[in-house]
This record gives sequence, C-alpha cells and structure tokens, in this order.
Amino acid sequence: MNYILIGIKQAFQLIFSLDREIFSIVLLSLKVSLTAIALSSLLGIPLGFLITIKNFYGKKLIIILMNTLLAFPTVVVGLIVYSFISRRGPLGAFGLLFTPTAMIIGQFILALPIIIALTHSAVQGIDKRVEKTALTLGANKLQSAWAVLKEARYAILEAITTAFGRVIAEVGAAMMLGGNIKGSTRTMTTAIALETSKGEFGFGIALGTILLLIALVVNIFHHYFQSRRI
Amino acid sequence: MEKLILMVKNLKKIYNNKIILDIDYLGFQESKIYAIVGPNGSGKTTLLNILNLLAKSEEGQIFFRDQEIIINSNSKILEIRRKMTLVDQDPFLFQSTVYGNVAYGLKVRSLSSIVQKNRIKNALEMVGLSGFENRKADQLSGGEAQRVVIARALVIEPEILFLDEPTASIDQKHIDKVEKIITKIRRELKTTVIFTTHDLSQAYRLADEVISLLDGKIIQQIPENLLRGEIVEEEDGSKRFKTMGNIKFAIVSEKIGPAYISIDPRDIILSYEPFQSSARNSFLGKTTKIIEQNHLVKLEIDIGIPLVVIITRESFFKMNFNLGSKVYLTFKASAVRLY
Repeated sequence: MNYILIGIKQAFQLIFSLDREIFSIVLLSLKVSLTAIALSSLLGIPLGFLITIKNFYGKKLIIILMNTLLAFPTVVVGLIVYSFISRRGPLGAFGLLFTPTAMIIGQFILALPIIIALTHSAVQGIDKRVEKTALTLGANKLQSAWAVLKEARYAILEAITTAFGRVIAEVGAAMMLGGNIKGSTRTMTTAIALETSKGEFGFGIALGTILLLIALVVNIFHHYFQSRRI
Repeated sequence: MEKLILMVKNLKKIYNNKIILDIDYLGFQESKIYAIVGPNGSGKTTLLNILNLLAKSEEGQIFFRDQEIIINSNSKILEIRRKMTLVDQDPFLFQSTVYGNVAYGLKVRSLSSIVQKNRIKNALEMVGLSGFENRKADQLSGGEAQRVVIARALVIEPEILFLDEPTASIDQKHIDKVEKIITKIRRELKTTVIFTTHDLSQAYRLADEVISLLDGKIIQQIPENLLRGEIVEEEDGSKRFKTMGNIKFAIVSEKIGPAYISIDPRDIILSYEPFQSSARNSFLGKTTKIIEQNHLVKLEIDIGIPLVVIITRESFFKMNFNLGSKVYLTFKASAVRLY
C-alpha cells in the first residue's frame, strides 16, 4: 500500500514544482487534440449541417454509420491510419508515422463522426421556423443557413466538447501512431501507460490528475452549454 | 389614379393535384391597408407566401411596381424580397435579446451599426417597447413577443408589410394594441399593409379594402357565419349540413357532398325558451361576445361552434343579455345559404 501514497506525494511534488517534462507532455497532448478537434469541427459541422438539410439517396445509411462510428475503437483507427502511413503504405513517402501529425490524423478520424452525428441531431432539433423567419427578414440562402447554425450553437459546442473529451483521453491511436517518443510524441495517456508499467507511479499519478482536471473543465463547459440550450 | 405596388395575374397554385389558388387578377395600391379574409383552408397563407416571394406558383405573373418578377433570377428575387417582409401567424424569435432580434434584418443587409441603432430605437418606440432592448426573447409575454416581431419587420422599412393572422393567438388587450399599431404604421410610415384575418369585423375596421377568399378564389364579399362541411342525406330523405363538432343544420338542397354554407346573422331569432315555430333549426348556446355597433348589437353565441347574431339595440336591452347568457337560436332551413 505504501507505494501508492508515495506515488501520490511524488505526483503533487511534480505538479507543484511545475516539472518541465510533465508540462511539455501536457502541452503536446493539448496541441494534438485541439488541432484535431479544430480540423474535425471545420469539416464536421458543415457536413453534419448539410446532411440534415439536404435530402439525398443513402442519407439514412450515413446517419446510422456516423452513429455507429461514435464507438469507433481507437486501436482500429490506429490500425487503419498506420497501414496507410507506414513506410510500405500508400502515404509512406511522407514519413508521417511516429510524428504528432500522425496522432492528429488519428484523433481527427475519431472526432469527425462524433461532430457530424451530434451536429446532425443539434440542427435537426432546431425549430423549422428559423429558416423561414430569416428569409422573410431578407436573408439570402447562406445567411438563413447561418441563422439555423446560430440557433444550434450551444448544441454544437456540446458536440465539440464531447469530441474533445474523447480524443484527449484516448490512448490506442496515440500509442500506435505516435509511438510514445519522449519529447516528441509522448502524450498524457501514452506516458501514463508507459510510466505505470515501469513502476513510476508518481509520474503516472501526476499526469492522471492533470488529465482528470482537464476532463473536469471540459465537463463544466459541456454542462454550461447544455443549460443554455434549454 | 393611385399607383399599384404589387399585382398578380392569372395566378394558379397547385398542391397534390388540387388547385388551391386560382386568381385572375389582384392589385395592391401604395400605402393602403388590405385585409384578406376567408375561412381556414381558403388559401390565405399560401397567397401571402407567394406575394412575399417565399413560395412559387405553378402559373401566373407577379409585378412589383410594373416590373415583372422573373422567378428564375435568384438575385432579382432577393432584391425585391428585401423590399417587403412577412410576419408569420406563429412567429419565431431568435435565441437572443430583443435588440438582437430586431437587428437581424439590418444585419443581413449589412447596414452600419449607427443606422441600425437609430432604426431599432424608432421601431421599438413604434410598438411601445422602448427600454426592452436587453430583454431575453424567451422572457417575453405572448403579446410582447408579437410586438417585437412587428418591430423586427418595421425596422427594415419595408414597402409592403405582410401580416398573417396578426391577432389570432393573443388576448383581447393585445389585439387592441396590435390593431392600433397597424393603423399607425400606415399613417406614419406610409407602408402598404396586407394582412389576413378570419375576423370580418376586424377586417372592415382596419382595412381600406377587404379581399374575400373562398376555396382559393376571390369572391365578391365574404358573408358572416361561413362554414365548411358536408351535406348528408338523413333516413327520412331530408338533407342536413354537417359541420365541425357534428353539428347539423336543416337546409334546402338538391345535392349532397362537401359544401360551404352561410347563415345571415339577421335571420337568427334569439329566445330564452325554446321557440315554437315552423323553423327547423333550433340550438341552445352560450353568449361569448357582445359588440355594440351604433343601433345594432353583434353577439357571438357558442353552440359548439361560434355563430354571429345581429339584433337591434332595443331588443338587446329588452332581452337583457349578458356574457354567458344561455339562449336558443332559431332559424329557418331556407335561411341557410348554400355555395
């Protein structure tokens, strides 16, 4: 039992002494996940919106597929991206494997269906009168679409926080695509996995605490957006 | 002669293989108030949406100030659509403040914020909501929301303002306010106002011209107590007109099937006791509205559906009617007019 208490003590020493290694790992994790979320939002929000307002063949199938991919196993994403960017893969020439870019690609793929599916349900829940009201007040097509998105803003922010919560905490894709290289691709989750297996509990607990704090902050935002939606 | 601001010719709107609008000609003059009246399903809302260029018709031409609107040119439609606006029957307020809502039409037109501020101040003053700028839209009462919606339309300074049933879903106190606003708009802004209503007396009270719509066609004048229903044949061979709430009127008719009827409000006799007579229609109802008009009194009596009855002032006082009074309505089968 004693080693756990020692680990916790070490962890707080590491955090409060602003340990360089710990914070470079935290910064890298945030950089990778925030970039992945920004990119998947940029693509996923317009796609989720278009899927909702347009009628086309196979629409139902896409929606079911996106909802299925909400539970995309992270190691499967790792596997797929790995097979494309490894030296022998079709994108091998770019030398992406074991770089932060590879992790961003993996997390982007994880986050995209979440953003699309949740944007779809957000826009679908918006009053049908929003579009007509905008048009009667002189909006063009693009402006009326923007009005609908704006009405859905809190639900869409919820989608973004949900996706961020998922990618910041995932370990499978980050491990397989980043390779957990110290000072380059070591994120909070991969570091915790490694340090724990090495018996470095203090380091693992310190990172785990920070990860939980980040999750807490994300959830506070999430609940704030949820309360504004009603 | 006054100038026409909007005109339609040979308009036909078809929905599910049914002609729901069929209008040869309809013209609206500048700075006048028009009321479009007709029962539910007569095509009022569809007509407003077409005039406001939100819906398309299968046939016909629309002219804005002598210039034909070519339906295929989206930029031209937007340009003319921005000269008018429509306030819906069941209006929607954006999740924002009163200011944010009223500003919307100005923002999409990219007007400067100084112009926006001034116009919003004036529009809110016009509807009696000065000081409401920072109120959240979801904290307004139904009547206040309706006035915000009118301010949001006025701020655009439209040449034509369409109002779809502007007083259908608000209480009497706010109806008076909205009616005052409508007349004020015309007086102070010279805007052409086109509104729909199913309240005939409101139409005649506010409008310069009343357009009556029945089954998608313009008719000379819409009568009171216009009802939609079906003529059925009873077991004894007599014909009855069946309408909402399974209410049946004895009528004189050759045909059966769907039809419209009207009952002249002056042909209905009121009494406290069942009235022994040769008249075949007798119903017990409750007085729900009393409106005095010069030497006549207009009553609305609910027999399951509201019927309007007009009696003289003398008989009104002699009978001592009050709101809630239970009375018998009696009228002859031949007083029911068939369309």
